[in-house]
Amino acid sequence: MKMIRTENITKKYKRYKKQEGVIGSIKGLFHREYEEKIAVDAFNMDVDEGEFIGLIGPNGAGKTTLVKMLTGIIAPTGGEIQVMGFYPNKLEKAFKRQYAVVMGQKSQLFFELTAEDTLRLFKEIYRIPEDEYRKNKNFFVELFQVQEIMDVQVRTLSLGERMKMELIVALLHNPKILFLDEPTIGLDAVASKQIRTFLKNINESRGTTILLTSHYMEDIKALCKRSIVVNYGRKIYDGDTDMLFEQYQKSKKMTIYFEHSVEPDVPEYCRILEKTNDKLVLEIPKQNTEKVLESYIGHYPIRDIGIEEEEIGSVVERIYKGV
Amino acid sequence: MKKYLEIARAYMKAQLIWRADVFVDVILSVAKILFAWILWSILFEGKEQIAGLEFHTMISYYIISSYLFQMEKSAEISQQMTGMLRNGTFSKYMVIPVQTQGYFVAMEAGKLAFSSGIGFLATVLWFCLFRISIVHTVNLKILLCGIIMVILGLLFMALLNYFLGILTLKFEEISTFLMIKDNLSAVVTGAVIPLALLPEWMIAGMRFLPFYYVTYLPSMLFIGKCEDEAVTGLFVLSIWCIFFIVLNQVTYEHYRMKYDGAGI
Ligand SMILES: Nc1ncnc2c1ncn2[C@@H]1O[C@H](COP(=O)(O)OP(=O)(O)OP(=O)(O)O)[C@@H](O)[C@H]1O
Ligand SMILES: [Mg+2]
Repeated sequence: MKMIRTENITKKYKRYKKQEGVIGSIKGLFHREYEEKIAVDAFNMDVDEGEFIGLIGPNGAGKTTLVKMLTGIIAPTGGEIQVMGFYPNKLEKAFKRQYAVVMGQKSQLFFELTAEDTLRLFKEIYRIPEDEYRKNKNFFVELFQVQEIMDVQVRTLSLGERMKMELIVALLHNPKILFLDEPTIGLDAVASKQIRTFLKNINESRGTTILLTSHYMEDIKALCKRSIVVNYGRKIYDGDTDMLFEQYQKSKKMTIYFEHSVEPDVPEYCRILEKTNDKLVLEIPKQNTEKVLESYIGHYPIRDIGIEEEEIGSVVERIYKGV
Repeated sequence: MKKYLEIARAYMKAQLIWRADVFVDVILSVAKILFAWILWSILFEGKEQIAGLEFHTMISYYIISSYLFQMEKSAEISQQMTGMLRNGTFSKYMVIPVQTQGYFVAMEAGKLAFSSGIGFLATVLWFCLFRISIVHTVNLKILLCGIIMVILGLLFMALLNYFLGILTLKFEEISTFLMIKDNLSAVVTGAVIPLALLPEWMIAGMRFLPFYYVTYLPSMLFIGKCEDEAVTGLFVLSIWCIFFIVLNQVTYEHYRMKYDGAGI
């Protein structure tokens, strides 16, 4: 069985259009004008068990809307949707017991409670047997090193600490699918790396299907074998993540340090980014990297040489534009 | 059921940290008692009875009913819900396998269990301190009916506030509804004036409404009055509770499907 299957799923939001001025506001009391916004447009998606999928796209592309439909928080306007055989928006308990959702921007936790009490509460809510609960809890607490913050109120946790708690709470009941909407937003490099390692571990050891949206390509590249790119509510790419970045990677950056001041030849298809007496930085079309490298090594006194991938921002820009 | 008990327990525990509002509540309760004492002393000047109640009975009524009124804090349910629905954080209750109605009621019960305990102790303390001879029923059955009625009454208020909260799904702005409810319940529950002072036909009408049984009737039962109304009261209040449980379920299911603003 497919874990997720959607067919031509569409979401139209109705937004109340406020008319200008006092007269407009009064008119609005009796007659409201709405404008429609198509956030997700005839979207098809198939996900198998155990996949780790990245959902990327610019702001307002419709990623969160998609996640909200998949988790049943909102109803689709049209099309078919099925998650583990359920129609999400029915919000059946049997369905809700089998997935979890973590949203980086909105907490799933109850702020008045301590972390420890929250876990206890979720144990009862999901009817987790005591021994399984202990095992899971100890495993996660150990992994994230959060023993010290178990007895403080959730509202006083820092963003990174809270995020770890969100993940622990989400995974306590061994969900079959985990939906993650920007889980690493605002986290420092160490914490986001920790979370990546954690997610990879969960996906591999438990076979949890994970759908991740993120604006950090590091997350996507490190975790998701498959990526789906969305823009204007439509799918513009669905396939291997490495191939996606490879395909839109147009050039490489080469930095060469010379032993002493030289005047090197630069092929006309390269762009000079920086040039001093003993340093040269070039932007080289991807396919010519080797050729350029060969033309320098052995011909000039080279002290050091470095080749970097193209700046990720430019690649992402091209991916989103689809050119 | 166990999960709802756990919800109540968790929220009760969360109250156990030092909280200024509990302290203020205790202080306020003494102020109220003093105020009532002074007010009714003046009113009873040269009279044996007012509306069929003697001075000590009146004071007892006043203290008990103001305690019950103070206990009822479920307005925070509708406040919280409307806030969360509007800023999109309500979705966290939608994705967990609990009935949201049950969640909010259990949460309120947990919070109440704590504050009502403190309030009860404070009230008893003031009674002793001021040597007020409390007038109370000696009939155990009536006492039990009164206690059940208080619990049902609190349940009803929680359900009503939950209902007002989910109206946000439809109307977005519910402050008007809340204002109406607050004013209505303040008068009708007998917290402002003992309903015994009102004309009989008005009271007769109120007997069909739930508010009559939230503070007024249980207070009367506790001071040993209106005993013949105890059983019918429990019946009417139960009907109201059941009606609202069903109404809430249906309304919530209906409107949540049409609502797009939940989450993020
Ligand atoms: N409740 C709502 N009512 C009306 N329009 C909405 C609502 N929620 C989202 N939208 C609109 O739908 C579009 C898609 O929003 P969505 O939140 O799904 O984007 P996103 O891909 O998650 O963006 P981001 O990367 O910024 O989080 C946006 O244009 C947004 O303005
Ligand atoms: Mg989003």
